[in-house]
Parts: sequence; C-alpha cells; structure tokens
Amino acid sequence: MKKRLYLELENCIGCRSCLAACTQCGGHEERNRNYVYDVNPLVNRQTMPLMCLHCVNPACARSCPAQAIQIHETGAVLSALVEKCIGCQNCTIACPYGIPKFDTEQNLMYKCDLCIDRTKDGIPPMCASVCPSNTLQWLTDEEIEAKQKQFNLDNGKWVTSMPYLEGETNVRVNLPGILQGVTKLF
Amino acid sequence: MQRDKFFKEIENVRHPNETLVKTHCSYCGMQCGMNLRVNTKTNKIIGVEPRYDWPVTVGKMCPKGVTAYQQTNLDDRILKPLIRDDASLKGTKEGFREATWDEAYDLIVKNFQQLQRDYGKDSLSVYSGVSMTNEKCYLTGKFARVGLQTRYIDYNGRFCMASAAGGFMRSFGVDRGSTLPWTDLHETDCLFIAGSNTAECHPTSMFRVWAVQERGGYLIVADPRETPIARRADVHLDLRPGTDLALANGILNLLIQNGHVDKEFVNNHTNGFEETKELVKEFTPEYTSELTGVAPEKIIRAAEIYGKAPNAIVMFARGIEQQVKGVDNVSGYTNMALVTGKIGRPKAGVATFTGQGNGQGGREHGQKADALPGYRKIANPEHVKAVAKVWGIEPEEMPKEGVSAYEMFGLMEQKVIRGLYLLCSNPAVSAPNLNYVREQLKNLDFMVCSDFYLSESAEFADVILPTTTWSEDEGTVTNLEGRCIKINKAQEPLGESKPDWQIHVELCERLGRGKYFSHLKTAKDVGDEFRLASKGGYADYYGITWDKIEKQDGVFWPCKDENDPGTPHMFLDKKFYHPDGKAKICALPYRPPAEEPDEQYPLRLTTGRVVYHYLSGNQTRRINFLRDMCPEPYVEVHPETAEKYNIKHEEFVRLYTRRGEAEYKVKITEAIRKDTVFVPYHFGDDKSINLLTIGALDPMSRMPEFKACAAQIEKLELKKVQ
Ligand code: SF4
Ligand code: SF4
Ligand code: SF4
Ligand code: SF4
Repeated sequence: MKKRLYLELENCIGCRSCLAACTQCGGHEERNRNYVYDVNPLVNRQTMPLMCLHCVNPACARSCPAQAIQIHETGAVLSALVEKCIGCQNCTIACPYGIPKFDTEQNLMYKCDLCIDRTKDGIPPMCASVCPSNTLQWLTDEEIEAKQKQFNLDNGKWVTSMPYLEGETNVRVNLPGILQGVTKLF
Repeated sequence: MQRDKFFKEIENVRHPNETLVKTHCSYCGMQCGMNLRVNTKTNKIIGVEPRYDWPVTVGKMCPKGVTAYQQTNLDDRILKPLIRDDASLKGTKEGFREATWDEAYDLIVKNFQQLQRDYGKDSLSVYSGVSMTNEKCYLTGKFARVGLQTRYIDYNGRFCMASAAGGFMRSFGVDRGSTLPWTDLHETDCLFIAGSNTAECHPTSMFRVWAVQERGGYLIVADPRETPIARRADVHLDLRPGTDLALANGILNLLIQNGHVDKEFVNNHTNGFEETKELVKEFTPEYTSELTGVAPEKIIRAAEIYGKAPNAIVMFARGIEQQVKGVDNVSGYTNMALVTGKIGRPKAGVATFTGQGNGQGGREHGQKADALPGYRKIANPEHVKAVAKVWGIEPEEMPKEGVSAYEMFGLMEQKVIRGLYLLCSNPAVSAPNLNYVREQLKNLDFMVCSDFYLSESAEFADVILPTTTWSEDEGTVTNLEGRCIKINKAQEPLGESKPDWQIHVELCERLGRGKYFSHLKTAKDVGDEFRLASKGGYADYYGITWDKIEKQDGVFWPCKDENDPGTPHMFLDKKFYHPDGKAKICALPYRPPAEEPDEQYPLRLTTGRVVYHYLSGNQTRRINFLRDMCPEPYVEVHPETAEKYNIKHEEFVRLYTRRGEAEYKVKITEAIRKDTVFVPYHFGDDKSINLLTIGALDPMSRMPEFKACAAQIEKLELKKVQ
C-alpha cells in the first residue's frame, strides 16, 4: 500500500531528532537534508520541521538546466545526480521552501531524497521513524483521510496540500491548530 | 507482549556486510529500543537502525539515541589504564601515563591496603552510578561490602531518583517507578505532569502524551517554565520553583471539597485520610496561589479536570524531586491518586520519569548506602542474613549503613574517607556546590576512576581504568516502567577496556577476596547470582531470566519464579506493600525551599536538562551533532527581568549565589517566570551551574535541592570574546 510522509506541525517539540536521523541513511554522508525552525524563539518554544514536500511538478527539477534532479517512480524527488549536477544552484532559488542545500566543496546540490533506499521498499524514512512526537509520520492515504476527518478546523481548512501552498505535493502537511476541532471527553 | 495502536510490523533495512544487534539506548530511563548496525568485516559499530518491534517506543528515538552509537569508537576513548604519579596535577588533564592493567591493579591494591591498614576499612569509599546494567550495579555493591569491606558506598541516584524512591516507599511501601506500563499512557483521560520537561528529557513519551489530547483527554503540566510540553497543556500551572508541596496540598484540598473522594477505596485500602484532610484544609486556592504564584483559577481548573477524569495518571520528575522536600512532594502528588482511587487499575496510576537508563534497577540492588539487593535494608537483620548467605559471608561481616553521595564529600573533608573508587559517574559536574566538592576530590589520599572518557571527575584520579561503553557488554536494565530488558553486546571491547564487573572481580582477586568473586566469569554469571540475591526481596528478580525477557519483550518486577510472567500493573488487587496492605495518604505540612530569595539574591535559580545532552554531558558533549546543537550553557531570563537588569538577548552576564559564580550568555524568553532563571547543568569546568547550586539535602532521601536557590545576575559590560 502506498504511504506518504505526513507532517503534523502542532506536535513538534524541537528535539531535532529528525536532523540527527537524516544523517543516518544510506548515501547521506552523515549530512542532514532537513530543517527545524524555532517559530518565535523569544516568546515560546514552538518549533516546526521543514522538509522537502516532494512536489508533483517540482520547481527544483524544472529549473535544473542539466536534468540532474530525477523523479523516482514513487514520486520522490531525488537529490542531484553527481555526474549531472553542474553546481548552478538554480534549484536552491527555484524551490519555494528553500530545501535544496549546496555543497560548495563538491560543487553539488544535495536534498532530501525521501530516504529512497528505505521508502522504495515501503520502509518509513529515518526522520519519520524516529520522530518522538509523531510530527512526522508515514501513513497510507486512508490513514491521512481519517486524520482529515478527525481534525476539522473551524475555518474549514485542513492541509496545506489542499489547496496547495504552491502546487500539489506528495507530502501532506497539517498546520498547527489541530486541537481546535477536538471534542473533549468530559 | 503488548501491541497497541502505535505498533506496526515494519521490516528493517539491511545493508550488505552488516548485521543488526537488537539493544536499547545507553542514556535515559525510556530505554528506547534500537538496532546497532555492525560491520561484519571490521566488527565495529557503524550506525543505528530503528527498532520498530520494541513495544514501548516503536522505533522512536531522541537525538541522543540516534547518535548514541558514536560513543563506542570515538577517538576520546581511554584505551589503556592511566596512572598519574604527580599528585600536584590533580584536577587537571595533565600528567597521566599509560600503564598495564597489572601495574594499575598493583598500585590500587598497594594504596587501598595501606589506607585500610592505617585508617581502617571504612577509609575507602565507592561512588557509583546507575547508567549501567543491573549486573554491574549489583556487583558494585558486593565489591564495596565484600571486596573492599567498607560501609561507604553510594551512588548518583541520590541526585536523581532518591526522592521518588523515598516517596513511593512511604506512600505504597514499595518503590516501583511506575505503577503501570507506558503503553497505558495514551489511553488515559488526564495526564497530570509535575516538574517534568518530558519533551526534552523523555522525548519518546511525547507521542503518547499528545495522543491523550487528540482523543479529547486533558494535559495538565506544573512547571516554572513553559516547556515544549507545557506549551500545549490544557492547564499550565506555572509555579515558583520549590513550591510543589503547596500546589499538591491545594489540589488535594479541592479534590476533597468537590466530592472527588473514592470513599470505598480510601476506607478499605488507605490510612491517613482524615489527618490529611484536616491539614490540607488551610490550602485554599487563594492561599495556595500566594505560596506558589499560580493563579487560583488555574488551580481550581486543574483540580476539576483531574477530579472528573474517569482515568488519570499523575506523573512527575526531578523538578519536584530535587528539593529539600522532594520526598514530601512525591507523596503529596501521589495523595491525589490515593484519595480519588485513581490507582491500581489500567490507565490510572502514578509514575516518575526515571532519569538514568537503569535508575530503577540500579537503586534496587545494593549500591545505596542503606540498601542491599532486592531492595532490602541493611538495618534489617533478616535482610542482611539473606544476602550474606548468597554472598558467602557471615551476617556480622556485613558493613553497616553508610552515608549518602553528597555526605561522602563531607567525610572526605573530615578525612574519615581517604580513598575513592569512582565509576559510572561524574560528580565534578553533577554534584551541587561544586567548589566544595571539587576541593574534596582534590584532597583525597588516593582516587581511582573507571570511565571510558577522561571526565571532569577523572581529572582528580591517580589511576584511571578504561571501562567499556554499554554496547561492548551485555546484561539487563530496568526501564522507567519497571520492565527489565536486555542490553546486548554489539562489539568487542575497544583497546584494553574491560566491563566494570570484570574489573571488580580481578581487583578483588588481587585484594585477597577472590573466593567471593572468582566464580563470576561472565555477565550472565553475575546476573544469575544477582537474581538469587534479589529473591524474596521487594524487588524480586528471581524469575527474570534472559530468555523470558526475550520472549516477553521484557519482564516487569516483581517476578518471583520461572512461571511468573511478571507484574506490568501494580496493585491490581488493591494490596499495597505496607504490612497492613494499605497505602498511606500523607499529611504533609508545607515548608519553603532551603534558601529563599532576598534583597541580595532576589532571583530563583533552577536547573535542568536540554534534549541534546545527558546528565553531566561527559558522553554527549563529545558527539558532534549534539555538541553543535548545544555547545554551551546559557541562562534563560524573562524579557521583563532582563529589562530590569538592562540585559539583551545573547549578552553575557555573571550569575552568582552564596556559593559560586559563572558567566553565561543570556537567552531571553517569555517561556519562564519573571522571578526565575534557568541554566542547563550538563557542562564542566567554569561553566558548571552546579558551582552555584546549594548542598541542602532532603532529610529523608538526602537529595540536594538542585531545583531552587537564590541568585543574582550582573551584566558583564566588557564584550566577551569566546
Ligand atoms: S524529530 Fe519530530 S519533534 Fe523532533 S524536531 Fe523533528 S519534527 Fe520536531
Ligand atoms: S519542495 Fe522544493 S526541493 Fe522539494 S520537490 Fe518541491 S521544489 Fe523540489
Ligand atoms: S525523508 Fe529521509 S532524506 Fe528526507 S528529510 Fe527525512 S530523513 Fe532526510
Ligand atoms: S535518551 Fe532516552 S528518549 Fe532519547 S533515545 Fe535514549 S532512551 Fe530514548
């Protein structure tokens, strides 16, 4: 069954385990490809992760003059191919979320590949495996739909992917505020 | 085997030329399951893979856990015994030379025997820790009492779990950190969490905590800071550090006034209700608010939610325990469960978040000054007899009760204790009032330290023995649920390092005490003797075999024999462990912290952890990822307070108390009380916040009051160059 990366931003506790875990998968050369931000550090401790959303029609790949950014059959938008990337950094500018990172020494872009060595076999990505707060989850479309029913925001909105922030994405994001619609037990 | 809604069958990734070794994290009491990736050509640990099949944490890990594997083969490892001949260099990293094990052992034996000849058996001491297996903890107790024949042994749990232990003993007659398995947490209706920065200190509990709220349940958090867990709480009780008992009494009073008493339960299964009811009457919401600084409405709301919740779990951690009334705080919050009868059934109960990996097991099996294996008491002749028999000594040979960890430094000052064998701990960072503590370490006649890195405490040693990391030995650990689990060996010991149990055996042989130790040739041998030594005690591990742990995903104590599956839920029969089978509801008069703010020191200083570091930081400060995320301590200050002192974000201040001072970068945040400043304690040398903390002890648990003392800030005008 196809599963997707699903982000429930409200849950994030800022532990940055997702960053530590991202250094761990095959081919990552111990460098993480994701981000965690302090939303308002002088005020409170809210944090949120930012990862590649694996756009269906990715701006990064479209902007690449060398076709170095391949899209895997699972929909994962892969890291630049070493032999093709010319180091122009177009992708880093094109991505609406600022995801691709650039290695100046190797003159090579690197980005989240959705842990393709894992997700190609249906195994959850490292970040979603370890995330202690379930901010990052690896779910089937049915499970995501159930989430959508469970958390009905009073503004009628639910995920950023519908309507999409930029374009359709394979990753689904749930903005802060999920508890608004929860009915209390007593 | 518990399988809950979070459990999914997931295959692990297996890379070529690698095997996976199932084990658990080396750090906190969560003991998250993990697989260590081992290269089959080099036989070295090279990485980590989630352990999806561990029912408690289902693959999840915090960043400490993800990077834990890096400890084993770090360049900083001590690979050979080190000797320092020039005692004037104590307290520095200088002067150590490599030696053979024989030379190191000979030197230790010579000095230990000399000291004991000149000053008596009790001139030696053992200071230990609980970030190691039950086998090692058990043998450390025997090493001190049978090997060295000294009464002075204690351990770093005095700075960790001692108050929880004391409180549970008093309330329930038994000290198992959690009355229920963690797999119950997400199914309860209300979590009342006091003094626990859960999201940073026990992060992998968080998916269960959030799930309570997702179901429509409630989260109540008592903490002076708006920690990441408090941020989402339904009620955040933002109390002054050191005022928990007033809050507990205030809530208890409301629970009683509002008719939430479970009369049947109170009458049949508890003592002390009437007396307690009288005592807490005084703690009206207004009076409680006065003492704690929490708005009365919040106290009322919290009591209402906890009272109405069909099931609720009261949880707490060091925030309430590291106080001079830590034991009272524990019993005070536990009262809430006893009065309302929300205990002794699934999804309802009381739990403490155990700090160290084996904080539970390590305190049960005889490293405590007053305790023997199986949670037996040295003051009880029957208990002494039982253990003496297993150890093959006469009961009269059993040394008497010693003193607590912090008090040992006092005896060093008086030259009662002259020699120290330190293992699995780093008191030169973790003890309070460090100027004093470091002075005592320096003045020892002879000190041995067993560690795998040159810790700040090892800098005071004459001999350093290279021990193994957790992944180079096997044994059992008891996690924060009271579940005994198995740590597996993934790699041969690096260099000449040896596991602590083996060092103890070899040293005892050279001290002429071999007949009590020589039969222990493997960790399993030690484990089998330890099970036997615990048999019949409160914490009975006799039925916990390594096979059963494997088969059942761990075994909860008590577990008395081969056929006993163990005890995931405590008190299901409503039988408590006091002789009359009843729990004790405790009437606890309020008392303030040992040091209250005054004109000279107007702020309250509290300390704690960050998610990236573990305890004294001796391990985590060496891991690149963790160090990069939090390279140095800082002081958290509320913006209004900062304005008063004219300090801005990231400027430097001198923070000082009656005991010491240190300089910190300021982190401005509204997520802290205006009267309170916070500094994380994981750092050494002149950055240790424990230079400032107070050595005032809880009269029962001998736990120092890390969580509250009076302090003052001064802006540093000169631009600091880091
Ligand atoms: S691991 Fe999860 S909780 Fe931690 S920072 Fe990343 S997204 Fe947030
Ligand atoms: S989020 Fe950015 S990097 Fe990821 S696929 Fe879309 S455009 Fe490319
Ligand atoms: S999916 Fe994999 S590559 Fe992408 S951020 Fe997560 S861990 Fe990194
Ligand atoms: S430090 Fe604690 S929470 Fe973090 S991975 Fe290790 S056991 Fe789990």
